[in-house]
Amino acid sequence: MESARALRADLFDPASLAALGRIEIVARWIVDGFMSGLHRSPRKGFSVEFAEYRAYQSGDDPRYVDWKIAARSDRWVVRQYEEETNLRSTIVLDVSKSMDWSGARLQSSRDASGADRLTKLAYAERLAAALSLLLLRQRDAVGLVRFDDRIRSAVPPRARHGQWRRVVSALEEPGAGKASSAPDALERAARLISRRGMIVLISDLLMDMPDVERAMRGLRAAGHDVTVLHVMDPAERELPSTGEALFVDPETDLSVPASIGDVRAAYRNTVDEVLAEWRAMFGSLGVAYEIVSTDAPFGVPLRRAFALRQQLP
Amino acid sequence: MSFLAPLYLALASAIAVPLLIHLMRRRIGMRVDFPAARYLARAEREHSRTLRIRNLLLMLLRVLAILALAIAAARPVARFIGAGHAPTAIALVVDNSMSAGVVVNGRALLDQFKGMARDVVGGATSTDRIWLVTIDGRVRGGNAATIRDAIDGLEPLAGAGDPSAALARAASVVRASGLDARQIALVTDGQRTEWQRVTPPADVQLLVHSPSQGPPANRAVTLAEARPVRWTPRGAVAARFLSRDSTTYRITLNGRTFARGTAAPNEEIVVRAEPPERGWVAGTVELEPDELAGDNVRHFAAWIGAAPGVSLAPGVGTFARSAVDVLRSSSRIADGGDIAIATADELTRLPALITAPTDPVRLGAANRALEKANVPWRFGPRRSGETPLRGPLLDNVTVTDRYDLVAQPGATAETLAVVGRDAWAVAGPGYVLAASPFIPDATTLPVRAPFVPWLGSVLTERLVGEPGQVIEAAPGAQLARPRWADAMQTAEGARTTLTETVDVPTRAGTYFLTRGDRRVGAVVVNPSPDESQLDRFTPAELRAQLGGNKTLVADSPGDWIAMAFRAAARRSLVQPALILALLMLILEAGAIGVRARRAA
Repeated sequence: MESARALRADLFDPASLAALGRIEIVARWIVDGFMSGLHRSPRKGFSVEFAEYRAYQSGDDPRYVDWKIAARSDRWVVRQYEEETNLRSTIVLDVSKSMDWSGARLQSSRDASGADRLTKLAYAERLAAALSLLLLRQRDAVGLVRFDDRIRSAVPPRARHGQWRRVVSALEEPGAGKASSAPDALERAARLISRRGMIVLISDLLMDMPDVERAMRGLRAAGHDVTVLHVMDPAERELPSTGEALFVDPETDLSVPASIGDVRAAYRNTVDEVLAEWRAMFGSLGVAYEIVSTDAPFGVPLRRAFALRQQLP
Repeated sequence: MSFLAPLYLALASAIAVPLLIHLMRRRIGMRVDFPAARYLARAEREHSRTLRIRNLLLMLLRVLAILALAIAAARPVARFIGAGHAPTAIALVVDNSMSAGVVVNGRALLDQFKGMARDVVGGATSTDRIWLVTIDGRVRGGNAATIRDAIDGLEPLAGAGDPSAALARAASVVRASGLDARQIALVTDGQRTEWQRVTPPADVQLLVHSPSQGPPANRAVTLAEARPVRWTPRGAVAARFLSRDSTTYRITLNGRTFARGTAAPNEEIVVRAEPPERGWVAGTVELEPDELAGDNVRHFAAWIGAAPGVSLAPGVGTFARSAVDVLRSSSRIADGGDIAIATADELTRLPALITAPTDPVRLGAANRALEKANVPWRFGPRRSGETPLRGPLLDNVTVTDRYDLVAQPGATAETLAVVGRDAWAVAGPGYVLAASPFIPDATTLPVRAPFVPWLGSVLTERLVGEPGQVIEAAPGAQLARPRWADAMQTAEGARTTLTETVDVPTRAGTYFLTRGDRRVGAVVVNPSPDESQLDRFTPAELRAQLGGNKTLVADSPGDWIAMAFRAAARRSLVQPALILALLMLILEAGAIGVRARRAA
């Protein structure tokens, strides 16, 4: 079992995995690993149609092994099904300047593990690519909206062949403007989905809560299912233990002089309060909300997002 | 509260460090990109009051810890409320040296010291033990009334006294008291020359007061000397004066003024005279009175008599004859038969200056003549070779030919000069015997400049009259008894029989030494010239000078009186201060620990 876990890319350290190839390749590995790790059928209770056979892989549910073929040819194969779905989903990715940051520099002197951490943006891009691929493999239509202080790129939701390539190409475009403007991006995403669908917002949520709430309220009123993946660097949740510095927000130029030892506990409490506020706000609107840490394997947020998807028709 | 080492209070300036850290902690130079700065700002905004109070508390704890450490280093002592004072052994050391007799604002400094000492005695209880120690080391004990009477009777000494001995004796008596609380209360003028080499006792608390103002200008006679001591009858008086400007002086002999004049500062004057007095006489060199009377007069003594008549034997040679002519022309000697100068083989009588025979074949005759004249010395083997001659007035003189001087049983003589380890000239009753003849072939003495002074000294001081001399002594000193005297006589005629030691009087003056009814010399008592240098240590310098472990310096007379008897009541606060510092540091560490745990 341990060796099986070790081979699954979705459970790899994100930074190590990202170093092995481009977004497209890494996303495939993640999704392959993720799919092979589904011990129970994610399709259970849904309308599915047989698509093809494939060779049995470690971790596949034995219920889908075709025993007749195994008896006849002494080969283990599993049956794969195609979902009949018309879900249209759009991934809304925050590419603002605050996303292009890693806490590795803050922690590198004290925590060797933080030295190779991905920026929030790099993590989010790989997560978006993997999620897109996963949804496309389910025959869902997938689109992408990238935004910072304005819409940087938009790929309309499609389920056709080559859509994933377009998504990946869009992810590779430059971004990282100044501020975040999520309401505009979410409104744009809503326009791209002509009928009810799923919207996945991947952002660090370093923006004003009322604006986000107003946009979410509009999406929910339009009947969209919204999932928010709140990307956070570990250093944003837990400040380094000592030192003094002038902390500057690269988006707003807000500068805060602080002795970390003095404010560490207070900061942690404040972050917990902020997260609770976001959770309460999204909960009150029926928006799924997950916190994603950039040092967690991609499989973790992918599983959560995928689980949310499975609750939809 | 006072401090035994107040200079260490300067360490308190280190509180600037935590203060600066506290005030400058927001001036941070390192800039860090941190997108979640809005959370940080919110955290500081919401917890600013707590953070400010905690930082203030930490700063206060650090400041208090540093202050407590600085106070502990300064070794505080304090009297606790209601403590009174425990039975205390206190030795009042009153500096009654000559310099304490100086008059300031119409009042002698010693009178001020006496008043202070009386006030301290007034604060004593029946359980206290108290002594009065004067600066010459004399100790007086008894009840308060006795001590008060002793204080009233104090007079300035004629000299500096012995501060080290006074402190040592004071420490000794309070140690022997058996009481736990011991204190030496010293009041002094803080004279530099008096205190610069004094070490305070280490185990007894020393409370000191000295005036903070400087001394008045002083004029003094720092030298008064008869030259030579024996006048025949001509002689001279040398004198020197301490003064900022020219000063007028008077010189007396047996109370009669024989010279007046004006001298420049530090100029040595020599006044020549041929007085009519005879025998041992006392003289003074005096100045006009000033604020310090004790050093306005300086004493000297001289022997005055007729010039001795000197006769020469034919064999002494031309050099000795020429020297005698010089001495005769200066009236130091005269023609006559009082003293003979002769080679040993020509000796017929004493007193005589006897030289070795010029011709070695006369050695036997020389020794026979010595035996006949009862001179307890004989000439031994002849020695040749150039050797330096050593002795008073005999610089740069060598001897090339001499005889060993062989002492006979019962010989008691003084060696005047030596060659190597052998005696070359010896002196006894009525004779001076030289181991070489006075010719250049035997010694360079006859052709050297020291010959005439040496010959004059031998003839006028060794061979004429009594063998006495003048002994210079400090007031109150102790001397070994000179063999040639049996009693000491004041100028007024009172006599004191001498024992093995001579206690020099504490008053300045001339005290004649006698043997039988005749004066044979004098003890001249004068203060040390250093005692006329009134420069004082400032209280701070005196604190450094007497900076023993238990020395307290009172800045004012009132403080000195108030701090007496507080050896028992004034407890050391070093330990409480250290405990306070430790407590502050523990609290500070605790506060930091709580913060660290919360942060973790």
